[in-house]
Amino acid sequence: MVVTNNHELPTFEELTVEEVPISTPGLRAAAHHIGKYCLEVNDEFMMCKEDTNDPRKCLNEGKAVTSCALEFFRKLKGNCYDEFQIYSNCIDKSSSTLDFQPCRKTQAVYDKCVFEKLGIERPEHGFFCKPRVYTGNRPKPVEELTVFSDLPVGLKDFEDEERPPAKYGIRNWFMK
Amino acid sequence: MASTTAQNFKQDMPPEGGYRKVNFARVFPKPFASTRALVGTYLVSTGIGFYLYLLNDKEIDHYQIESRSALIALKPLLDAEADRDYLKQLRKNRDVENKLMKDVKGWKTGTYYGEPVYKTVPKEKIIHPSLNEYYAHADPKTLENRAYWHKNL
Repeated sequence: MVVTNNHELPTFEELTVEEVPISTPGLRAAAHHIGKYCLEVNDEFMMCKEDTNDPRKCLNEGKAVTSCALEFFRKLKGNCYDEFQIYSNCIDKSSSTLDFQPCRKTQAVYDKCVFEKLGIERPEHGFFCKPRVYTGNRPKPVEELTVFSDLPVGLKDFEDEERPPAKYGIRNWFMK
Repeated sequence: MASTTAQNFKQDMPPEGGYRKVNFARVFPKPFASTRALVGTYLVSTGIGFYLYLLNDKEIDHYQIESRSALIALKPLLDAEADRDYLKQLRKNRDVENKLMKDVKGWKTGTYYGEPVYKTVPKEKIIHPSLNEYYAHADPKTLENRAYWHKNL
């Protein structure tokens, strides 16, 4: 594999946290409210991923995202367990693509409960599809322009160039 | 014999007043409605149909935006878990390779006898391994399921 012993990889202890044990219908049922509840944490994580493009550097942000979602689900379980169960069951059983559209009645009950008990309002239609302005503390990434050196550097004359024999032999040995 | 035949002979002639005229004139069917009415009906019904199509199209867009919105809201949660899983697997692969190749003289993990796979990238950067390398120490069925049947078991 391309990962050498010099690469820094986090240990298993650092990578093991409590994950969210919810199935897809449940996640989809709670998606809009999770997005609203964990908006800032999620933004931090996604900005980190976008800036660094390296999963090793965004572990803490990722852990914050997971713990925020867990916190939300625990609150939900404490306050609106039945409403959530009925709604996610409806989403699960109503269509093959887990659509929201056939479950408006159960959704209304669930929304009402979440709003009354947890104080989270369902975001407007298509809220997460719209662009938002990031208001967190991450520094603005510096755009480094590519600097090209003066060509040609290190280019040797064809005759002077070292031409060592192939290190591991050649494939078309019969042609020479 | 010949004379009797001649007496009974009767020349076959056209009927009195001649044959009736041959009817070769082209016969048009009776029109169902006037051209103007037909074209008008076509335009109106097509227009109504197109309007209903547009309404339906808008409704479907509405549903899809809601669905995509849910996916986008969930993406950080799913990504965070997937990234941790990915890093765990990288570490597992490296440990297994260290253990597997410890008796091979001159072998360095992640290189070909000390020669790095990538020469111009920074040393800290991880280039994502290909699927074959990622699943090198796993059951071949696992790679097959993911690569060919798109199953994540």
